[in-house]
Amino acid sequence: MATNSTRRRNALWRIGSLLPASLLLVALSIYPVFNLVGLSLSDVEWIDGRAHSEFIGFANFDQLFRHETVYWAGVRNTIIFAICAVTAQMIFGFSMALAARRASGVTRAVLTAVFLLPIVMPPIVIGAMWRLLLGRDFGAVNTLLGYVGIGPIDFLGNPDIALASVILVDIWHWTPFVFLLMLTGLESLDQEVFEAAKFDVRSPWQELRYVTIPLMVPTILITLGLRLVLSFKVFDEVYLLTGGGPGTSTEVINFSIYRTFFAQDRLGVGSAMSLLTLVAVAVLIVVVNLWIRKRRSKSQEATS
Amino acid sequence: MKQTKTFLLGSVASAMLVAGPASAEEIRILINQSPWLNGFVAMVEEYEDQTDNTIELDVTPFGGMLEKTRNSVRGDDGRYDIVALNAAGMAEFYAGGFLKPLTEIDAEFALDENVLTFGGSTGWNFDTNGFSADGDLLGVPINGNVQVLYYRTDLYDEAGLTPPETWDDLMANAKALADDNTYGFIPRASRDSILYNFTSYLFSHGGSFFADPSGGDYSVTIASPEGLKALETYIALGNEAGPPNPGAIAQAELIQLMSTGRAAHAIAVVAAYPVLNDPNSSIVAGKVGTALIPAAEGEEHASAAGHWVAAIPKNVTGEKQDAALDFLNWFLSKKQQLFYVQSGGIPVRKDLSDSAGDNPSFAFLPAFSENASVSRMNMPLPQGSQISDAISLFLNQAVIGELTPTEALNKSADEMHRILTEAGYTLAEPSKL
Repeated sequence: MATNSTRRRNALWRIGSLLPASLLLVALSIYPVFNLVGLSLSDVEWIDGRAHSEFIGFANFDQLFRHETVYWAGVRNTIIFAICAVTAQMIFGFSMALAARRASGVTRAVLTAVFLLPIVMPPIVIGAMWRLLLGRDFGAVNTLLGYVGIGPIDFLGNPDIALASVILVDIWHWTPFVFLLMLTGLESLDQEVFEAAKFDVRSPWQELRYVTIPLMVPTILITLGLRLVLSFKVFDEVYLLTGGGPGTSTEVINFSIYRTFFAQDRLGVGSAMSLLTLVAVAVLIVVVNLWIRKRRSKSQEATS
Repeated sequence: MKQTKTFLLGSVASAMLVAGPASAEEIRILINQSPWLNGFVAMVEEYEDQTDNTIELDVTPFGGMLEKTRNSVRGDDGRYDIVALNAAGMAEFYAGGFLKPLTEIDAEFALDENVLTFGGSTGWNFDTNGFSADGDLLGVPINGNVQVLYYRTDLYDEAGLTPPETWDDLMANAKALADDNTYGFIPRASRDSILYNFTSYLFSHGGSFFADPSGGDYSVTIASPEGLKALETYIALGNEAGPPNPGAIAQAELIQLMSTGRAAHAIAVVAAYPVLNDPNSSIVAGKVGTALIPAAEGEEHASAAGHWVAAIPKNVTGEKQDAALDFLNWFLSKKQQLFYVQSGGIPVRKDLSDSAGDNPSFAFLPAFSENASVSRMNMPLPQGSQISDAISLFLNQAVIGELTPTEALNKSADEMHRILTEAGYTLAEPSKL
């Protein structure tokens, strides 16, 4: 039985060990959110070199809902972007992980290195590279398509396909992330289950359908959740490839916030946009978490 | 030996003529990555050779200039002793009181009469909240980046054409020179740059953005019959003589198409001239001429001012301010401006043509002078960046067919009026189509 002094020491240890992380959390996450809330309810003006802030209630939110049509176009595009890009990344990433797992020796090492290449490239390089590749007049993709009598296609300039082109680049960029998590998940599966299943399954497809995928559900859900949340942060690809245009065809939430907050220096409306997006993503995280927990408990019930 | 002695004496004399500050200072300048950067760097090196001062450049892409400038001038201690921005971007810093009036640094300082102010963009009138040469002197021009018309001289010679006077002439010439490998005309119509290029069309059709900006009347006038004609001309040139989907063409694509010989005409900043005529970066070097931007029949010519202005923040020390002004004063002298042009820069003086001779580096000067003399700013007010973003979208949507020209101009007028009235301006109702 622990004595009072031991309990006190344990309590002190717990507090002491948590304190640095808590202070960092307050300084880097909680304070900025409160600051954002304050700014979203204010109008900031610069007069004679000094900032003058005035409390204006919900006027910035009123402005956001009534006049910021570009932001709402960005919301629509971001949702389309997230659904399309993440779905494709999950399918390709999982398929690539299965291929790498089945390969052996040098082939496996080469496949893994090639598959991971896009994720280690800096976004600025990716943007410049794909802008060159997809260019209408001088792009390599159109040159290749020209050999088979197709095109030229204006991948980034045609408003009907510009968003699809950006999604394509994002799929190329982030599929390796899914691949990496899936491969790790596949590697950690209990091999005895597969050995035992050999008596019941008749084909690799059956093994995949009835053994691999059910065992991978927790990894798949976590990866899906991570990618979904991260896809709402898309900015660099849009900034570098299309600048949100033509029209609003590739506008995304973060680009609207960037332009409002930094280019236009409208701190109040930019903060209102940021806050609304923050709340939406937080709700999404909670929903995805609840869903993952529900699926996990179902999966555990089934196995027990 | 004699030559060496003469050179040394000359150097001493030069050093004495350049009256620098009492002690050596390091000046920090925020400057953008641009086609004219090489010229600016050459000037900096020349200044360092001639004086004891040293200059540290922070070269930044255009997209990051505004944020860096704000961060520097809004703090207690400024990071930069000289900030440089395109004039329209400078409006918020003039109006916000971040910059030191140059006559407070040196009471004797004044701009030479041959230095171009591009519509008074070196001063600010705090009563009308707008640019004014008669207001406080807050900046000096460092790059006369006006727009000019580029055309292929070889194609013109073959076809027996002459540079266009009117927009109709330009359309005819562009159609005459267009073929499977060459676009007749390249419009710069991407969302982030369309307003700048539309400006010369609007003014040269007799239209305007505001009723009387120099008098402080910012009532919105963009949606007018003249504005409509200007936008229709803009769209027609792109659709009938340009590449497909012009709504995605920004400056980089425009220069690329011109320098690879894929285009016969374009309207772009004069700073592109050295790039287009450099054999290392252009296959049509020596075949690209410059001219005055056309006007509508019976209207006055106009060019969009995209010049850059340098200013000295209040939040740097007096010694740094003195040194910064010394550099800017040196920069504006005729001798150094000639050196600037030879190094790839765009001058800010109007008295260089007589010294140009046959030097090919100076071949753009006549067109530059013509366009500079009719150049105007589109958004000469602190809310310029917000308005620019808003109406650029509508203009771009008109180019890609999502809005009719009338819808685009009416929406632009409504949005401009709303932004300005919310900012506290007293305006007449906007004109509408």
